[in-house]
Amino acid sequence: MKTETDGHETAGSPGEPAAAVPNRGSSRPNKLGAGKTSAVPSTDIDRRRARKPSPRSGSDRLAGLTLLGPNLTLFSVFVLVPIVGGLLLSFTTWDITNGLPKWVGLANYRRMFADPLVWQAVLTTLKFIVFGVVPTVFIALGLAMLINVRFRFVGAVRSLYLIPAAMSFAASAVVWRYIFLDGPGFGVLDYVISRFGITPPDWLASQTWALPALDIITVWLSLPAATVLYLAALQRIPDSLIEAAALDGAGPFRRARYIIWPGVRYMTVLVAIVALLSFTNGSFDLVNILTKGDPLYATQTLIYYIFVTGFGYGFFGYAAALSVLQVALIGGILLVLWALSKLTQR
Amino acid sequence: MIRSARFTRRGRILLAVVIGLLLASPMLYMVSGSLMSNSQLSVQPPQVLPSSLHFGNYAAAFSGMTQVIQLRSFLNSVIFTVGVVGLQWLLCISGGLVVAKMQFRARKVIIAMFGVSLFIPILTTLIPTFIVTYELKMVNTYPGLILPIAAQTAFGTLLFRQYISQLPEELFDAARIDGATWWTIFRRLVVPLSKPATAAYVAISVLTAWNMYLWPLVAAEGGSLQVLTQTLALVGTTSQGEVTPQNVIFASVVIVTLPMILVFIAVQKAFMRGLSGSGVE
Repeated sequence: MKTETDGHETAGSPGEPAAAVPNRGSSRPNKLGAGKTSAVPSTDIDRRRARKPSPRSGSDRLAGLTLLGPNLTLFSVFVLVPIVGGLLLSFTTWDITNGLPKWVGLANYRRMFADPLVWQAVLTTLKFIVFGVVPTVFIALGLAMLINVRFRFVGAVRSLYLIPAAMSFAASAVVWRYIFLDGPGFGVLDYVISRFGITPPDWLASQTWALPALDIITVWLSLPAATVLYLAALQRIPDSLIEAAALDGAGPFRRARYIIWPGVRYMTVLVAIVALLSFTNGSFDLVNILTKGDPLYATQTLIYYIFVTGFGYGFFGYAAALSVLQVALIGGILLVLWALSKLTQR
Repeated sequence: MIRSARFTRRGRILLAVVIGLLLASPMLYMVSGSLMSNSQLSVQPPQVLPSSLHFGNYAAAFSGMTQVIQLRSFLNSVIFTVGVVGLQWLLCISGGLVVAKMQFRARKVIIAMFGVSLFIPILTTLIPTFIVTYELKMVNTYPGLILPIAAQTAFGTLLFRQYISQLPEELFDAARIDGATWWTIFRRLVVPLSKPATAAYVAISVLTAWNMYLWPLVAAEGGSLQVLTQTLALVGTTSQGEVTPQNVIFASVVIVTLPMILVFIAVQKAFMRGLSGSGVE
């Protein structure tokens, strides 16, 4: 394959004598035999059915369709149709096991605005995301700075930072449930905290601490990807710049503030988006496994509420309306992120 | 000056190691606990290393009264992951070639459509996606489990488009002049040359698919299609978790996570490249 590739390169280079082409062309099987005219004047047209790279020919269109068609078909059926269908569904009530959806206009949306659980879920989701994504961004930058150094076993040490990325939310939930376990002499975390003379909270059973506990797990799971992204950005900052600042007497914090932060700022938006998606996932997986929205709806995120409304109670129309709200919520957060990145660019 | 620089360098490396251990500690706790006896695991203060290695916990996770992991779920996870990643890869690399190298009118529209849909994760369209799957009579079938996730091609198609459009144009022109069809170009040029992009893509999507929880939960309510994340979720909830001994639960989590740790070690570089879109050294 390697030599073939090289052959292509020479054949395609401008100024190459046309005579160089035929040998290679004839040795290549022409699968469809589709070429109508030869690109190179020759006396041996049958053996060298070279085609002009004209994108509009029929067989090209066919090839394009077969290559892209399956992708677009599946994407349409399982992504586009649900997006548009979900919007339409939000104006209906539908018990899917029984008959067709019934058009109810804005009734679902009116119900949504009157439903106190919706607004509590929105608030919970926002709290979960803000108190999770912001720490993720800053901690990841700190970690990336820490491991952006060369020494013999740096690869192994970096693996320690990245390995949690191999764990699922479900697997993490199981392990962290034991770490957070309440009561004297049970959870590891409570043991460590009480060693410092602090009375540990009732993590997952507490209305105040359940959501932060879920945040801690999600931050832990989101850090590897965020750290890698920052590490890539850091490695593009020339060492000489940092050394010069150090020689001028800038300490680690000033260097972080005036050289590193501006140097990685473009990456921060991406880190925040990747973390946002991770927190959106966590806001379902962890809640469903660990708390089921309890205690007293303190961890009921919007996605969990949508899940319960649809699959628990079978209100698919209402759940679709709530999904529209969820998309708007994510869209709103992305808009804020975009605005923040514009504002801080100056 | 030099001495203090050397000291800060050493201190920094030490700090990096300590914090690394701290971050990995939940996983180390899990592995260590999976090899302890249950009495050692619940003793105070918490023990760091097992006093003797109880490999029996792993056998117990697979059989008997304490069984957590059904072979069927393990197989389902493998089928789901291989199905999703294999199919999605094929869709994305072929589609990526078309939008990268072929000129046609709808091209920009298609690229924009993929780009926008990136921000509408399947989680938010869960209800209508389930209804489509339901109406196609695919709930509780492998196609219903696999196809809706394999169909999330936006990220992969854009990734391969990005990569393929960087391949030199002359390569494609030469192949065309030689009479190669787009299919031949796809098979003999694009697929072999896209190995780095494929590695990055596979690394990320294998992790995503193996660790996916929500879609299998709604698409396979019945037991026979259950995947491993659902199995773990069962022992993660309090009621079930209190029946099975903790050391066996930890062993189960290790068993479920181990394939991904191996994948992760094998492709750590590709994973980092895939995430950052460049070489992290």
